[in-house]
Amino acid sequence: MDENNVKIGLETHLQILTDSKLFCGCPTSGNDEPNTRVCPTCLGMPGARPRINKRAIEMGIKVAVALGCKTPDEMNFSRKTYFYPDMPKNFQITQFSVPVGVEGELTMELDGKEKTVRIKRVHIEEDPGKLKHVGGSVLSSDYVLVDYNRSGIPLCEIVTKPDLRSPEEARTFLRKLSEIFEYLGVYDTTGDATIRSDANISSGGERAEVKNITGFKDTERALRYEIRRQKNLNKRGKEVKRETRAYDDKSGTTKALRTKEQEADYGYIFEPDLTRIQLKESWVDSLRDEIPELPHEKKRRYIEEYSLPKEIASSICSDFAMTRIFEDLVNERNTELVANILSGPVKKVLNYNEIRLDESQIDKDKITKIIVMIENGEITDRNAEMIIREIATEDKDPEEIKEQKGFGKVSTDRINGMVDEVLEKNKDVVEDYRSGKREALNYLVGQIMKKSQGNADPQNTRDILKKRIEK
Amino acid sequence: MVSSRDRAPGDILKYSGMSVSEFMKKDVDIEDFYGKLKNRLKKMEKMGYIRPVDYNISEKGKLGGLPFTLKDSICSKNDPTYAGSKILEGYKPPFDATVAKKIKEAGGVIFAKTHQDEFAFGTASTNCAFTTPKNPWDTERCCGGSSGGAAGLSVALDLPHINLGESTGGSISEPVSFTGAVGLTPTYGTVSRYGLISFANSLDKIGPITRSVEDAAIGLDIISGKDPMDQTTVDTEGNYAKDLDGDLKDTKIGIPEGYFKISGEGVSETVKEAVKVLEDLGADIQKVELEMTEAALPAYYIIAPAEASTNLAKYCGMRYGMEEDPEGSFREYFSKIRGKGFGDEVKRRVILGTYTRMAGYRDKYYLKALKVRKKIINDFKSAFKEVDVLAAPTAPIVAPCIDEIEGMSPVEQYKLDKLTAPINLAGMPQISVPCGFHRDMPVGLHLMGDHFQEKNIIKVGHRYEKERGSIKYPEV
Repeated sequence: MDENNVKIGLETHLQILTDSKLFCGCPTSGNDEPNTRVCPTCLGMPGARPRINKRAIEMGIKVAVALGCKTPDEMNFSRKTYFYPDMPKNFQITQFSVPVGVEGELTMELDGKEKTVRIKRVHIEEDPGKLKHVGGSVLSSDYVLVDYNRSGIPLCEIVTKPDLRSPEEARTFLRKLSEIFEYLGVYDTTGDATIRSDANISSGGERAEVKNITGFKDTERALRYEIRRQKNLNKRGKEVKRETRAYDDKSGTTKALRTKEQEADYGYIFEPDLTRIQLKESWVDSLRDEIPELPHEKKRRYIEEYSLPKEIASSICSDFAMTRIFEDLVNERNTELVANILSGPVKKVLNYNEIRLDESQIDKDKITKIIVMIENGEITDRNAEMIIREIATEDKDPEEIKEQKGFGKVSTDRINGMVDEVLEKNKDVVEDYRSGKREALNYLVGQIMKKSQGNADPQNTRDILKKRIEK
Repeated sequence: MVSSRDRAPGDILKYSGMSVSEFMKKDVDIEDFYGKLKNRLKKMEKMGYIRPVDYNISEKGKLGGLPFTLKDSICSKNDPTYAGSKILEGYKPPFDATVAKKIKEAGGVIFAKTHQDEFAFGTASTNCAFTTPKNPWDTERCCGGSSGGAAGLSVALDLPHINLGESTGGSISEPVSFTGAVGLTPTYGTVSRYGLISFANSLDKIGPITRSVEDAAIGLDIISGKDPMDQTTVDTEGNYAKDLDGDLKDTKIGIPEGYFKISGEGVSETVKEAVKVLEDLGADIQKVELEMTEAALPAYYIIAPAEASTNLAKYCGMRYGMEEDPEGSFREYFSKIRGKGFGDEVKRRVILGTYTRMAGYRDKYYLKALKVRKKIINDFKSAFKEVDVLAAPTAPIVAPCIDEIEGMSPVEQYKLDKLTAPINLAGMPQISVPCGFHRDMPVGLHLMGDHFQEKNIIKVGHRYEKERGSIKYPEV
């Protein structure tokens, strides 16, 4: 796909991890029974009013600062008015004229090269409720139920400039963004919190906005479809219309929603129930001090301090929980071994299961056990990977798995016995070796490994074989 | 309970003229008292003032069972609360407004909701979806608005009680000047709005409507204070009813001449006589110039409807109030409910308020009006550098006939707010005290103060009232 003239801008919403909602005291998680975590405020009852959750504001400030944004001296909230059944007040309290952050940037790695995406603004807003279409899709359902448990949960919206050039770049950007949220401790990767985006896409001509894309994969899918659609139009000599389109995750396609002329006018006014919020320098500075080492900083340090190869450092730093295990073990155990196990088999198994470390059953203790067994020569790397596969989604003890599977390196005595058999069966190969074909030894080692089901230590086996043939 | 037959005839006058503080001090037979109150409810309902609610008599707390009413837009738990609108008919809030909570905690008894213009949009309570309150002095005439029911009840119910009204652009002062009651609108942020069904959040203020300045000050003491449920509230010293007596020797009172020119001659002259009384009492009377007076009404009728149109978006037949079988798309359903449930004035203000905040008009109207509002505040601030209190007519005319109001254009009706809109836009405190009659209808003296200087206006109002003497209220 020729994507040279593709420009993508994202408006991404992430839930901010707080105990209570943005404008009331209702819990953000817990009872999943619909409409149980609600009160007059998040239900928009007449007479109820919002009150600011300071924690959410602080998290929003941290996000803005971490993305290198300028923060204002004073900010406010506004009402964005539109009618929709999931909106308790038929307006959303959001930030409009003075958001928590503007003019930031996010640097990410793409094919080994660094790329900086400009951030236009970061703002805090409330999530609406959730519609449940019963008996079908949006169009075919028999009826619709509304669950307001989600109503009022704080969201952070990050708006980029149109700096992304491909669906892959967009996906990488979202990954990186969620990493930063995770590092800041403001994003719950394990809950049902989702990453939701609206995307502005142009393939050279007019741009279209695609609304309501959930998750990393669907972002890439939706953008791919939309770019193809726009290019096909161009090929047929037709122009792309400036319009808003909806993404349908079932079909992976986008459908026209409304044209620019029909664009909703949100009629913003200041939210008069909330007072302006002063962002005193000392407050912002103390929040800045609370910002931990961010992924790119951590990666740089791993490379410098532990001499890790760039790819391995990158791989570990892309999962915050993994960096914690790495940092816990790095001083106790062999650095290289710890890094290799985490970035190698652990990462591979997690990717296979499409989960992150803190969603898996793998923890520091289990990794320690595996590393100790490798260090003691009790298991091979291959055994280690098999154990990790077992413990990824089920809470099992690595040592017990080793016993059950009969892992554990074969003793020198047993290797000697196997060597006897192999040499007897492969006299011609032994002859080849003796006549100078050194690589014949590899074949013999391979035979032993096969016999031992991979449990023999390859180096030990090689040494024994050599001694026996050469004597 | 004592039945009405057990009581001697004439006994009804036992509580006549009793003030709120007397009620609180005296050992009132609460059963007997509420028996009398109950006997009056039907008539008060018929006059269009109230919708009674269920209540339990209690004599606990410092209020000792003092009766209260709430404007229909103030929520009280499980009591019908409609804000004067069909769209909320049948709605019983699941929670108490902070003011209702405070009343109950202090031992007050809420016995009724008072009728008002729908969502407080009006100056005569003729936009109420349920009834139109009749003026106790002349039932052909209106009670003003939007807190018309409360203003009427205050005068018509000759038993000590406090009514809570609400003012956005003059909805406490204007009706009380029409009925001869006292209305105290505190500084914005003094009384929690939690549980008040919003008209325009940046302007709405709850305040007491009573027969006397002292009763109003007691009312404000009960309901004021910072509330975590309303972030626009602030801590104030309170004690509004303490040390009311004081002379006016060191008090500077400003007379905004423009306000007198806007008013009709009869009203203007009546208020001037009251100012003369204040001068005779020792107050230093000075003329002041308020340059922004003419700009206030247009700014008010942009800001208030802009906010109101967003507040009213929530009424769509989904969660409370009017509902029907949801047919068609949600847009069709919402439109149907809103079309049926809202009255004409509500529709007018929703359209007006939506227009002025749309992209392209936002700068020209909404944002510009906010700038004008700042200038109005500064206008008053400079005046209050020179004087402690401003005195002017509350409304330009006396209560018009209900027929007349119905024949007026919306803009003509809006003009009744001309003298109250500026001070309400500034969020500054004001009290209207009856100061005489014109064509046998009461005229209000409007005393306005700087932010959080309620004590100044209360002191002047109370002193004036003492000098004026008691009013012979009509028998209803």
